Amino acid sequence: MEFFKWLDKLGDGIKEFNPMKIPVLHFPDIWQNTTYVYTFLKIFLAIIIVISISNEFSYKTVRQNIIDGMSRLDFLKSKLATILLLSLGSSLLVFITCLLTGIIYTSDNEASDMFIGVEFVGAYFIDLFGFLVFAFLMTVLLKRSALTIFILLIYRLIEAILIANLPESVEFIGEYFPLQAMSNMIEVPFPKYAFQEIKDYVVMPFVWVSLAWIGLFVYAIYAKLKKSDL
Amino acid sequence: METVLSIHNLTKRYGRITAVKDLSLDVQRGNVFGILGPNGSGKTTTLGILLDVINRTSGEFSWFGEPPTKDMRKRIGAILETPIFYPYLSAAKNLEIVAEIKGASKDNIDPVLKTVELYKRRDDKFRTYSLGMKQRLSIASALNCAPEVMILDEPTNGQDPQGIAEIRELIKKIASDGKTIILASHLLDEVQKVCTHFCVLKQGVLLYSGSVDEIGKGAISVEVTAETDIEKLLKEWNGATEVKSEESNFIVKLVEGKTASDLNKYLFEQGRVASHLVTQKKSLEKQFLELLAESEHA
Repeated sequence: MEFFKWLDKLGDGIKEFNPMKIPVLHFPDIWQNTTYVYTFLKIFLAIIIVISISNEFSYKTVRQNIIDGMSRLDFLKSKLATILLLSLGSSLLVFITCLLTGIIYTSDNEASDMFIGVEFVGAYFIDLFGFLVFAFLMTVLLKRSALTIFILLIYRLIEAILIANLPESVEFIGEYFPLQAMSNMIEVPFPKYAFQEIKDYVVMPFVWVSLAWIGLFVYAIYAKLKKSDL
Repeated sequence: METVLSIHNLTKRYGRITAVKDLSLDVQRGNVFGILGPNGSGKTTTLGILLDVINRTSGEFSWFGEPPTKDMRKRIGAILETPIFYPYLSAAKNLEIVAEIKGASKDNIDPVLKTVELYKRRDDKFRTYSLGMKQRLSIASALNCAPEVMILDEPTNGQDPQGIAEIRELIKKIASDGKTIILASHLLDEVQKVCTHFCVLKQGVLLYSGSVDEIGKGAISVEVTAETDIEKLLKEWNGATEVKSEESNFIVKLVEGKTASDLNKYLFEQGRVASHLVTQKKSLEKQFLELLAESEHA
């Protein structure tokens, strides 16, 4: 790990410990560090999605499009395509920033080492895509953009409160709540700089749980669209 | 004749309210079919169900003899209430979207915009348009896609006289191509002017369905005036079933088969000359009010 190498180099000079010089932006740590931080910014992309979808309802354009010959499934597909494109674009951006920043900060670059941990970008993609699909579901359920954005902003808090109040016997299911499961894919990387053990890999079981949630969300959106009068 | 639309026992309930109740209807190709009814009689709900934006509670309907799918809707052009387009997109862009959904050609967008006199404003955003222009854009959209069936819901609602005239022109143009039009309205005059067939709904129940021509059939009434008093003569005539005095005129209800010329001939034979003789057309409005009144007594 880059951090220990760095500590090693310091050797006796450990007294000169400068937190600003911790190698957070070096390969391979950068992949986890950056993607972890970026997952906090997904709310901004979710706002775009919420507005784009709630506009379809408030301007009644979804109704007109269906009258003109779209099906409800077509509407679902088109919005999912938008979400997919946005998530892929954002993931690509994260990938490029990580790569460039890593190249700049890491002194002993070896091409083969650069991509160790690149799977965190994949986890970031699933996290973002899942959150945007969740935003889609909330918009379809609530219809109003301001209310939906507010709910999305405080939803993590709601989930945290629910998890904290779970009876002890079923406490473990808290980890499988949708946004909790998604954030469990990328563990908080920073405690390692305080010599604590962390999972410095993508936690695969939660990848599958997250994908299952996404599938469930998409189905819920479809069921709601199918049932509602537009 | 080919049946374009067939509805069987269609029902829609909103909780305790039944918006459409056991509706059965058939619309033939080439008909201009008017759906009449007071406000809240289920006209828009029915059209919404036919266009798949409202889910039905029970019943069946078929377009072109086949169960409804999205491909059926591509052959139907519908303007429900107000024109709906993306407000933040230009007219041309909006028409492209509709053409894309309908699978229609995009080459006709410019000529069609010229037809409705919106060509100069084609790159302006839809939200900057006046109501009349919005209405014209939806006409342009309908023309561009050339649907086999046109559905119009209160198309002249809130329109200025120019807008109303434009809609009427559109209806006539489409009808003259032998296409089918379904028109929901509470403007009876409008329906009588353009429709060949009509039905009457009240609180979701079908009261009447038939052709507009049939309205004129049956006994007719004639409005008559003469310089001299003719009331006694009219009452004596065996061709009259009822004589009413209304202002300076007499309204004579004739025996079936008799016409105004029979009345004129009779008066002339009696040595009187009518100075005013008008056959009262039985209007749709009258028929409509009669139907509603009948349903109230029933």
